[in-house]
Amino acid sequence: MQHTATISRLKATGAPPRLSGFAQWADRHFKWLLVAPAVLLILALSVYPLLFSLVVSFINYDFQVPGHAFVGLKNFERVVFDPVARWSLLLTAWLSGISVAIEFVLGLLVALTMVRSFPGRGVIMSILIVPLFISPVIVGQAWTLLLQRPFGPTNYILTQLLGQEVTIGWMTESPWLYVSLIIADVWQWTPFMFVILLAGLTAIPPNLYEAAELDGVNAWQAFWAITLPHLAPMMLLALTFRLLDAIRMFDTIFIMTGGGPGTRTYTASYYLYTVGFTQFHLSQATAGSWLFLIFTALVVMLLVRRLLKTEPV
Amino acid sequence: MNDHEKRDFQAGLEAEVDAFMRGETTRRTFITRFGQMTGMLAASGPILAMMTDWALAQQKLELADAASPLGQAQAAAMKASMEGPADGSAFRAVEAAKAHSGVTLNMTYEAGLQALDPRNFSGPMWEQLTGMKSNVVELSNPDQYSKAVAEHIAGSGAYDVLDISPAWTPSLANGGVIAPLDDYIAKYMNPADLEDYHPLYKALPTYKGKIWGFFDDGDMFALYYRKDIFEDPKMVEAYQAKFNAKLAPPKTWEEYAQIAQFITDQMAPNVYGAGHFRKAGSPGNQFDFLQQYRANGGKLFGDDMKAGLVSDAGVKTLQNMIAANAASIPGNNELDAVSLWAAFLTGKVAMIYSWPPSGRMAANYSQSATAINFIPQSQIAGKVGYAVVPGNPEHATGYNKALSADSANPEAAYLFMQWACSPPVSLARCMLPYALRDPYRISHFKSELYGALFPSAKEYLSNLNNSANVGLLDPIMPGAQDYFLSIDRMCTAVWAGADPKASLETAAAEWNETTDRLGVDSQKAFYTEFLKLPGATADNTVEKLGMAVTL
Repeated sequence: MQHTATISRLKATGAPPRLSGFAQWADRHFKWLLVAPAVLLILALSVYPLLFSLVVSFINYDFQVPGHAFVGLKNFERVVFDPVARWSLLLTAWLSGISVAIEFVLGLLVALTMVRSFPGRGVIMSILIVPLFISPVIVGQAWTLLLQRPFGPTNYILTQLLGQEVTIGWMTESPWLYVSLIIADVWQWTPFMFVILLAGLTAIPPNLYEAAELDGVNAWQAFWAITLPHLAPMMLLALTFRLLDAIRMFDTIFIMTGGGPGTRTYTASYYLYTVGFTQFHLSQATAGSWLFLIFTALVVMLLVRRLLKTEPV
Repeated sequence: MNDHEKRDFQAGLEAEVDAFMRGETTRRTFITRFGQMTGMLAASGPILAMMTDWALAQQKLELADAASPLGQAQAAAMKASMEGPADGSAFRAVEAAKAHSGVTLNMTYEAGLQALDPRNFSGPMWEQLTGMKSNVVELSNPDQYSKAVAEHIAGSGAYDVLDISPAWTPSLANGGVIAPLDDYIAKYMNPADLEDYHPLYKALPTYKGKIWGFFDDGDMFALYYRKDIFEDPKMVEAYQAKFNAKLAPPKTWEEYAQIAQFITDQMAPNVYGAGHFRKAGSPGNQFDFLQQYRANGGKLFGDDMKAGLVSDAGVKTLQNMIAANAASIPGNNELDAVSLWAAFLTGKVAMIYSWPPSGRMAANYSQSATAINFIPQSQIAGKVGYAVVPGNPEHATGYNKALSADSANPEAAYLFMQWACSPPVSLARCMLPYALRDPYRISHFKSELYGALFPSAKEYLSNLNNSANVGLLDPIMPGAQDYFLSIDRMCTAVWAGADPKASLETAAAEWNETTDRLGVDSQKAFYTEFLKLPGATADNTVEKLGMAVTL
C-alpha cells in the first residue's frame, strides 16, 4: 500500500524522465563527486606539504646554502647529535609532564568543588574558564609583566608578605624560570582539565552516591569506589588532549624567556623554530620535526590505546 | 532486501519525494547554486583587488606643522623632489618615475613603527609626486630575510623593494634574491649623493665590487648618561676621593663598570649605575659582546677560519660584562631594549648604551607621536649627556634598501629607493618622531633642521657622527645569524652562572660547526671581503683609516 501511495504521488507531480547512461552513472557516483573537492583540498593542503616536508628532510634546503642537493640522513644526523636538540626533548617531556600533572590535580579538585550547586557557582565557573580563551602569547606577556624585574610586582609582594627582601630572577635563574613557565601554563590550562572533569562528574548517576550513603560509605570511600572508576575515561581523555597540547609548548617560552638563559628553556618546538626560522636551516628543522612527530606519535599511540581500552563495549 | 532495509528504503524514498514536492533543494538546484557560488568566488578576486586599491588610496600624507623643524624638512623634501636642483637624486628620481605612474610597488618593512614611515609619509608623498602606489608588507625581522628568499625560490615576484640587514647582503646577492644597482646609479643618481654617506655606511651595501642597495638606517650604539648625576658636586667629590679621578663618561670598559658600581653604591635604590638589555633573544648580548670583544683586541676568526672566541680577550670581555651586570639595576638580565628605555626614561638608571632613538626619547621628542606612546614620558629631558661608547661602539645591524631581483618593475622600484634615500627625503624620514630610522648621511649630522628638533639635538648628532668614526660593523657574511645566536646563548648562560671559559668554548664549537656547514673556503672568502670594510675591526675604523668626518 505504501509503495502504491508513493507512486501515485510521483505521478501526480510528474514522474522524472528516463535517465541517459551518463546520467545514470552520475547518479550512482554523485556522492563521490560531492566529496571530491573536499578530498582534493585536503590532499593539497595536508598530504602534499607532508610529502614535501619528507623530501625536504633528505635534501639541502637551507636559505644560506644554495642548491637542493640530496644529503641522505645528514639532516637527521645533525638533529640527533645536537646536544641542544636532546636537551630540548628532555625538557619538553619534563615540563609538559609536571605541568599536566599539576593541572590535572588542580582541575580535579576544582571540579569536585564545583560539582554541587551553590550560590554564585555560575559566576565563579565563568571566571575560572576565562584563561582558556586567552592567547598563550598574551598569557606569556601578562606573566612577564608580573614577574619581570625591576617592574613586576611579584618580588615586592613576596617581600611584604615574608618580611624579608625577595630578589628572585623569575625568568633567568634556575629553578625559578621553570617554576614561572609551569605557573603560566597551569594558570591557563587548569580550566581545561576542570571543564572536562566536571562534565565527567556530572554524568555519574547520583543514585550511586545515594545508595552508598545508605550503606554508610564515607566521602573518601565513595570517591575511590564510585567517582574514580566512573571518571577514569574522562580523566584519560583530558590527560591525553592536554599532554598532546603541552608537548608543543612554545608561545609562553618565546615571550617569557626567549629560550634562555643559554638554551635552558628550549623545548622541542622552540628548538625547531630557532633552527628553522632564526638560523634558516629549514631542512634540519624539517628533519627534526619528523623525529619529533615520531616521538609524539608513540605517546599518542600509547595514550589512545589506553583510552580505547577504557571505553565500555 | 530484508524488512529492515525495506523500511529504510521506504523512509528515504518518501522523504525525498516529499522534499521534491515541497520544492526543497534537489541535486539540480544544489549544483546550480554551487555553480553560482563558484562564479561569485571567481568574481570576488577583482572586487577584492579593487577594494584593496581603494584601501591603499586612503593612506594619507601626514605632514607636520609647517613652522616646525620637521615641517620645514618635509617641505624641503617636497621642494627638492618637485623643483630640484635638477641634478639632485630626488628630483631626477621623481622625473623618471612619472613614466611609471599607476604602478604599485610592494615593499617589505619591519612590522610596527618602521612601517609607519612608508604608510604615513614617504609612500603617500611618492604617490603624490609620481602617481605610483605603495603596498607596505610588514614582516618580523627574521622574516624580512626568509620571506624574501622563499618568494625568490617560488619566483612569485611578490616584492619590489626589500628592507634588509646589511649582514644579509652577501647571501642574498649570491642567491640571486637582490639585484645590483650600478647601472641604475650610473643612469639616474647624482654621484655627490653617494659621497654624502658617512664613510662607515657608504661601503656597507658594496659586495664583490657592486652596489646591492642603499644604506638607510644608522643604528650606531652610543652612550647616554645622566649629566646631572655626573656633574653633581657631591658625587664628583666622592668619586675623586675614592678613585683619585674625575667623574666623567667612561673611556674603558673597566672604568664603565667602576663608575656604574660607584653610582649604584651611592644612589641605589633611587638610581642605579647602569642598565643593559640582556634578556635572551634580545640582541643586546650579541652587540655588546662584539663591540667589547673587538675593542679588547679579540679576533672573530683565525687564518684557518676557526673561531677566535676562546681567548684572553673573550674571557676579559665576559668578565667586564659580568662586572657591569653586577653594578646594574636589579633585573638587568631580564630587560629587553624597550624595558631598558623605560628604566632610563623614568630616571632609574644613570647610563645606558643603545640605539639612537634613546636620545630622541630621552628628550621627549619621540613621545610627541601617538604611535610611540607605549614608551613612558621622559623624566630626564634636559639632563642627558651623550658620549662615545668606551672603546669602539657597535653599529648594531642597520638597514639597506635593496632591489628585488624578481621585481616586475625594477626601474620603478629603484627610483623609489633612490628618492627615499636621497639627502632631503631621507633627512625628513629620519626626523619623523615615530620613525626608527636614524641619521646616517653627513648632511643629516650637519642639518640645522635636525639640530633644532630638541635643545641638545646638535650634541646628539655630533656624538652619533663621532661614534660612527670609531664604530665597528656587525660581521657581514652568511651564517651571521648563527654566529649571533651562539653569542646570545653564551652570554645568557654566563649571566645564569655558567663558567665564562667553558661557555666561550661551547660558542666557539658552534661557530666552527656553522663555518663547516657553510664551507670553510667560502666563509673565508666572505670574511676576507668583510675585513676590507671600514669598521670591520678596531684597527681599521673610519678614524684609523684617516676618513673621520668632522662637523
